[in-house]
Amino acid sequence: MTISASDRLVNMVDHENAFDLPLADVLPGQLAAVNERFQTRVQKIKLLQHRAEEGRVREVRRIEDIVPLLFAHTVYKSYPEAWLLEKKWDRLGKWLDTVSTARVKPMDTGAVRDLDDWLHRLEEQDHYVSCSSGTTGKCAMMNATTFDLQYAGRAFLHGLLWAGLKFNKDRMMITCGQFPTSPRNIATGGPMSEALTDPTLTPFQANAPPITIGSITEMIMLRKKIADGTASVADIQYYEAKAVARTMSAISVIEQAADAIIANRGRKLHIIGFLGAMYQVAALVRERGYSGKDFAENSTFLTGGLKGAQLPDNYREIIFDTLNLTPDRTFGAYGMQELNTNAMRCRAGRYHLAPWVMLLLLNESGEEQIPMPASGEIEGRAAFFDLSLDGRWGGIISGDKIRVTCEPCACGHRSPSIHSDIQRYADMASGDKISCAGTIDAYVRGVT
Amino acid sequence: MNTTPEAGTLPSNPDAPDCAPFFIRGHLIEGDEVVHRSRDLGVDFATPKIDLKLLIHPRTELPPLLNTPLSEIIAFLVEAGRKLGDIRNAYVESCIDRTATVSLQPRKTIELQMRHACRYLDEKVLNEVVEQNFCNPKALDEWVPHIDHQGRRSFIRAFAPRLIHVLPGNSPAMGILSIAQSALVKAVNVFKMPSADPFSTVAFLRTMYDIDPHHPVVQSMSAVYWRGGDDSVERILLRPQYFDKLVAWGGGDAINHVMKYIGPGFQLVAFDPKTSISMIGKEAFQSAEELAEVAELNARDVAISDQEACVCSRFTFIEATPEKADRYCELLAERLRIDRVGGAAAPRPLDMELREQIDALRMMDDEYRVFGRSDGRGVTIRSDKPVDFQPLRMTSNVVCVPSLQEALKYVNVATQTVGVYPFGRMEELRDHLASGGAQRVVRLGEAGPSAIGNPHDAMYPLHRFVHWMANENGCVGE
Repeated sequence: MTISASDRLVNMVDHENAFDLPLADVLPGQLAAVNERFQTRVQKIKLLQHRAEEGRVREVRRIEDIVPLLFAHTVYKSYPEAWLLEKKWDRLGKWLDTVSTARVKPMDTGAVRDLDDWLHRLEEQDHYVSCSSGTTGKCAMMNATTFDLQYAGRAFLHGLLWAGLKFNKDRMMITCGQFPTSPRNIATGGPMSEALTDPTLTPFQANAPPITIGSITEMIMLRKKIADGTASVADIQYYEAKAVARTMSAISVIEQAADAIIANRGRKLHIIGFLGAMYQVAALVRERGYSGKDFAENSTFLTGGLKGAQLPDNYREIIFDTLNLTPDRTFGAYGMQELNTNAMRCRAGRYHLAPWVMLLLLNESGEEQIPMPASGEIEGRAAFFDLSLDGRWGGIISGDKIRVTCEPCACGHRSPSIHSDIQRYADMASGDKISCAGTIDAYVRGVT
Repeated sequence: MNTTPEAGTLPSNPDAPDCAPFFIRGHLIEGDEVVHRSRDLGVDFATPKIDLKLLIHPRTELPPLLNTPLSEIIAFLVEAGRKLGDIRNAYVESCIDRTATVSLQPRKTIELQMRHACRYLDEKVLNEVVEQNFCNPKALDEWVPHIDHQGRRSFIRAFAPRLIHVLPGNSPAMGILSIAQSALVKAVNVFKMPSADPFSTVAFLRTMYDIDPHHPVVQSMSAVYWRGGDDSVERILLRPQYFDKLVAWGGGDAINHVMKYIGPGFQLVAFDPKTSISMIGKEAFQSAEELAEVAELNARDVAISDQEACVCSRFTFIEATPEKADRYCELLAERLRIDRVGGAAAPRPLDMELREQIDALRMMDDEYRVFGRSDGRGVTIRSDKPVDFQPLRMTSNVVCVPSLQEALKYVNVATQTVGVYPFGRMEELRDHLASGGAQRVVRLGEAGPSAIGNPHDAMYPLHRFVHWMANENGCVGE
């Protein structure tokens, strides 16, 4: 039986040397695999079909053929926001269908209580929708299948193994702050926890109401109503009370994590969280009189950047010194909710690509491909084709500006690697934009 | 530093960033010490370092224009207008080319706007602007006596203000208009140029310098660039010690940055970001010919300045069923896709995010319908409520309403111009539009031309600029 080009690459997830393959060796297979994906999905994903027609693409042979077929990361929040506000689940379902591989079937939406409930009911149809709220406040909704979730977990685990994290089941896992609950976060967090933790110890998570996407969206929608002037007094009171409760809960979550770290200081800990939360926890631990010498050889996994948190310049030193973390026990990845697979950080501090994730470098506007030279580092907008994606289209244009090289890395691995200095185009916009036709109502209503 | 004005030329080394000189109180300042990146297109350009001291006109010194009669100022502006409109004007020619490298708008549009703006520098126009803004323009030239009904005697002066202007990046002609308006009120001025046009204001001032380097108009003007939000400049300059008013065009970050400096003694005159809309009554459907004509009028209002200006229509509210509106949208998309500038280069494509949003609606083909292609040449979207993104780059959102009264709920203080069809329905709508916050009602198709000296953004700008000063001097008969 012959195996397809895409399966051959996707099945490399368990491969020991997956992150060691030079681009030249994998590129022909990647192109063939993208074409396979294109041929099987073009009839299924309505937006892809539109893209193929507009770009007159019938077949993928070269990298240039893929560019018109890529979706901007914003595509997963292209639904009209009013539908969310008005709880039009049938409409949202129809929209979700246009960016999904498997059909989102109509359901009895009369009984749907809220967004969380709707998402839950979709799971019964094997649609696991992960949401992420972006800078604009509107949340992206990305459909995934059981396969995607399992694969994301496996890819993450093997990536960490490759990066050098020892799965000795001898640590206690501590989460600083709270991660929003999403199927993808759960799918990737579970296997890591299992491989690392002492089975007799329960991983620590603060006792607090979970941050569901429904609860985030509820606040966004209320803020919009307040700004629109359509919120009732009761709405505003509810919003204010919720905001206070959320702040109290956030403080408590940080305190609980600091307490847990101090209480378990004799144990080897694996500490995770967004940098902002980790800094707050470290600062609190320090305030209570503990420092690096009080702790065992702890390890950490860092991802996600600062997420807009304003931290002092020496925040990294405070986190590392206080919690006894060292570079060789610090692991990291560059990834995004839009993909199943992260690029893992190597010992030389660069992010390496798995062979089933094709990197396409584009110009800033995302319209043209920048060819990747065999040597030297080159800068551009990152776009990816994650061949492992099952529930939706794998081609995504990110919002990130990266520097990448095809040269072998100082760590010894030969796969294309991305420099750790990654910027978001959205953050780079200067305060210089002056246009009297600017952002209008949004600005007047104060929702910028 | 070089103070000899010479006609600008494009740099000989194409890799070196283009240099944007400054003009400070009658002196050209050249230099390339600081390299900036333009906000819209990410093009590098170099400027001299700013010497903030030079920008301050001490309050102990009277404004240079204070005792120059208005008639003389107008005569000077008119002469400058002739020089600016001369196609052999090397400053302007070169600045059109340069601006085209950093602006979102095509060269042709920039040129048209600059040429059009020169027409503002006309004696009749400038006089009418002053007369519309001031019930007694004499107050600009002298202390005008006034006695109230109780016999108290005063002298009123529209005193020359100290203004700092934050110019917009979407309207290269705004420099000319701002210079003229500031000269009419005899202001001492600093113009902060935008990164999308760090050239034109200096080019205009150099043209004036060539006419008379010592003229008080020339001595009253400075044009410089710094990156918006740069605290090292704004914290020092934006103070009531130095300026009376901040004249700010634009919104979002541009306004947010400067808002924190506004306070007693340092007022904001804001030309906010605006959206303009169209309102079309059911009468448009009386015949196929009429509908086509209405679509053409509507398209004209959408297409002004490549839909970059605040006056451009972005939403059209129409009294129609979805089926009828679809017919209209098809016509409107066709009319939008006509090349109105002539010989314009390929349009800039839609930004990814906007294209994704429009394409998503394209997929939802019952509640929404999309006409035209998402290629930047023109697209219309029919919906039953306004889309939640800003229609840009020749995009018009046609919203079906049962009656135009129903559309009034979408009008707010960000609504600038409202084009109405049939024209006779303006009267029934204007009170409600004003009450909702709108600022201007016009016949559909006439958003572009505007009557001379009319209020802008719900104010008479020149009247707002001046420092109104009263000298009370006892009572009659004392």
